[in-house]
Amino acid sequence: MARWGMVIDLDKCTGCQSCSVACKAENNVPYGSPDEHKKRTAPFWHKVIAVSRGQYPTLGIDLIPMPCMHCDDAPCVTVCPARATYRREDGIVIQNFRRCIGCKYCIVACPYGVRSFNYKEPEEKEYHRPDLPPERADRGIWPFPTRVHGVVEKCTFCFHRIDQATREGKKVGVEVVPACAEACPARAISFGDLDDPDSAVAHLLATRQWLRLRENMGTSPKVFYLPR
Amino acid sequence: MASLAASRLSNYPILGSAVASAKLPEGEGVVTEKWVATSCLNCATRCATRVRVVNGKAVKVTGNPLSQVSEGENCARAHVGLQVLYDPGRVTSPLKRTNPNKGKGIDPGWTPVSWDQALGEVVERLKALRDRGQPHQLLLLYGLNTVSDEDIIRRFGDAYGTPNVISADGLDNEADKAGEWLADGHYSQSAYDLARTNYILSFGASILESYKPLARSLRMWGKIRRERPNRAKIVVVDPRYSVTALRADRWLPINPGTDGALALAIANVIISEDLYDTSFIENWTDGFDEYRNLVLNNYAPEGVAAITGIPAETIRQIAREFARSRPAIAWRGRGATSWPNGSYCSYAIFCLNALVGSIDVPGGVIYQESADFRSMPEPSEDDIARQGKSQPGLDLRKTTRFPAAEVVTNQVADSILENNPYPINISIGFNSNFNMTAPAAWRWDEALKKLPYYVHIAPFVSEMAEYADLVLPATTFMEEYAYDQSPPGSGFAEIRIKQPAVKPMSETRSITDIVFEIARRLGGTAAQSFANIGDDAQGFIRYRTGTLAPWEKLQEEGVWVGPPYQYYKYDCIFRTPSQKFEFRSGNLEALLKKTGQPIDKLTCLPHYEEAEFLGDINNYPLLLSSYQPLLNVDNGSQNYPWAQEIFLVMHGTGWTNFVEINSRTAHAMKVQDGDMVWVESPFAKIKTRARVFEGIHPQVVTIASGQGHYAYGKWASGIGVNPNEITGVAYDRLSGQAAFFNTRVNVYKA
Repeated sequence: MARWGMVIDLDKCTGCQSCSVACKAENNVPYGSPDEHKKRTAPFWHKVIAVSRGQYPTLGIDLIPMPCMHCDDAPCVTVCPARATYRREDGIVIQNFRRCIGCKYCIVACPYGVRSFNYKEPEEKEYHRPDLPPERADRGIWPFPTRVHGVVEKCTFCFHRIDQATREGKKVGVEVVPACAEACPARAISFGDLDDPDSAVAHLLATRQWLRLRENMGTSPKVFYLPR
Repeated sequence: MASLAASRLSNYPILGSAVASAKLPEGEGVVTEKWVATSCLNCATRCATRVRVVNGKAVKVTGNPLSQVSEGENCARAHVGLQVLYDPGRVTSPLKRTNPNKGKGIDPGWTPVSWDQALGEVVERLKALRDRGQPHQLLLLYGLNTVSDEDIIRRFGDAYGTPNVISADGLDNEADKAGEWLADGHYSQSAYDLARTNYILSFGASILESYKPLARSLRMWGKIRRERPNRAKIVVVDPRYSVTALRADRWLPINPGTDGALALAIANVIISEDLYDTSFIENWTDGFDEYRNLVLNNYAPEGVAAITGIPAETIRQIAREFARSRPAIAWRGRGATSWPNGSYCSYAIFCLNALVGSIDVPGGVIYQESADFRSMPEPSEDDIARQGKSQPGLDLRKTTRFPAAEVVTNQVADSILENNPYPINISIGFNSNFNMTAPAAWRWDEALKKLPYYVHIAPFVSEMAEYADLVLPATTFMEEYAYDQSPPGSGFAEIRIKQPAVKPMSETRSITDIVFEIARRLGGTAAQSFANIGDDAQGFIRYRTGTLAPWEKLQEEGVWVGPPYQYYKYDCIFRTPSQKFEFRSGNLEALLKKTGQPIDKLTCLPHYEEAEFLGDINNYPLLLSSYQPLLNVDNGSQNYPWAQEIFLVMHGTGWTNFVEINSRTAHAMKVQDGDMVWVESPFAKIKTRARVFEGIHPQVVTIASGQGHYAYGKWASGIGVNPNEITGVAYDRLSGQAAFFNTRVNVYKA
């Protein structure tokens, strides 16, 4: 069984945010509004964050693309009272909308802030977004037929792509990658099997310095960053 | 994946493969699916894309791997194309104005009319103007359009007989172009051989945010950093800590408007330390001795350090690195050149490339090739057209005021207001939005108000359309036929086509189709000029691209790529009197002699002039600059939530912009982060929030462009402010490039 992981090269990343927008399109993640932005309730499955330090003229700002880290030891899984969030055998941490009771415990527990609560009512016109992909039609068959109000959502490593590729015998990490990796114009995002020594991700980790975010939390995230 | 079902996860509703067998309700799921090879138009890069269309709806945009310019990649704007297409604010039918009063905030009282009536009205007026023998009183304005639309618009102007076909280029990088023209005779943006370069020295070029072709820069950035054994070094000179500066190896904050002096000081070091490319200089350049004397006598690093604020030792270090890390590129951008001294600054920076021999070599400056489209027959001309076109242009290009200019966009507003040199009777705007995008935007409001008859053609009612007497609804780039290419960058030629991914919405029509129809209805030479070039948009694209590839192949692939680039064409690339690269511009000398203007010792040499600032330093102690974030969509609207919610990546925020102010400056002015402040120039003031930021020169404040819309759209209107509402008017005197960064302001608590 593969163990899927992602390697983001911050030396190649240009901060263009194609990853974030491509994710919205691929997964039909609702867009926010100025009001939701202020309340920090706009949903994102992937977002580029800015971390700054120093003072003029010797400052540094890091732009860090933030998908779900798909931790091997995920706090969100541990705390979920409904077992709505769990780790698949291939290491992808998944949220099942149908089991989720909307308690937001996982949002509090996640050290990376990559989980979003869905505040949108299904009746809301904007939720159905006539201007955007029809959900089921776009995705083919997906485990969660419709989105529901009042549950937590998050990045899935585009598991629908991975599963389909596996069914069709395609090579994941080469022919098929998550939408964010596919959209990256600098080709800074690599995806593949961390346990396969021949994979591109394993090769990068073997040859470059790497870091994971909040290593001290003991979460063993599967998203790796390559610093300059 | 089969083992998944047997795993411990089988307690849970099964995901992934196991669900694949589930049946969807009738009519749901993917009933029809196709991929359409087309291209983007959310900025001038016009990247090749593929659009996935499911059940008749466009649902996803990806890059086209056949495109070599960006190696199949797109930037974030391409994805936003879906929201451009499905923007709920789009105009569905021609709209006629019923309220004769025009102005900001005045309801035009639109009533829908038929295409037949709308076109009838336009054509009647166009005919009458032409019959009066005054075709030059027609003014065509265009913003970001497809290349084929631009060709059609210019052809229409030619056939009708007006010299006034005005693009937005004068707001973009004309001074960049003039800088290259002074040196080698190419009035064009420079192309850089990014994949092979070892060192990039950027002067105010926003390589990762707004410089086009953007997707190519993004792709190549990844390549030169980590996809080859030697990692290129990148140094950014800019008063603002841009995304480019953030991702570069070194940021050198410079005193605003002094980039030219820095370039000359770098030349001083390279020459005095004998680091220049002797063989190139001896064989392929002219005027080096004069240039050397000028540079050695006037631009020692110590003196320039006082001007630029960059220490002399740093200048030496950068100069040595630049000269020793060949091939190296000195890259100039708007931040350095959109100034009253822009052309000379641009020239000074461009000359650095020649000093280190980076001209037409792998990893240096290259010369963009273009595709051989099938040429169109000359437009039919009658005496009326000939007389009209012999009139002076409204933008005063090629006059003693702007001797080298191709187009002086911002001058047009003043010319309209002053009837200079004659009044304008009819104007047609194609996707233009100059009363937002040009400095001193309020003059455009006044000018538009004054126009007796204005027709706006675009997919939505932008700020400029608010002043229209008639709005004609155009298709978006996802619904039309066109051909396109990127601005110079790749060297080799590449074109893409556009073809409808989905059917045009409602009654919208493509600009090419609209112009064809107007020409046909006008009859006479206008109609003749548009006969035999394809009859409609699709036909026109087929006609023009017929020399490149069979239509079926183009429709399938979307892209045509020319032969690989050839370097070292020194015997034919220099379009100068000496047929060499000129450190003393013979082109400028010839031009000024022709117009009878004075030439002094410095006129034809790259030199530094202190910038002229608008507003006195005592009352307006700070300098206002602006920048274009990547998610500022270039089409004149911003009504796209995907772009809006992540608008300012550096600040981790969206749905807004603000005035960014250095922490020390803010402290001295008793302004705190988040305070509402007035930003006041000698011309006007705007109220916005202050953002205390470390990444900005203490004497400069900056506001991101792209916000401050008020005309339409719940995701755009009323959000943020537009810095162009308070900037003044100034030009680069050679190229007519509008200066964007030389207005002084004061910032105080509201």
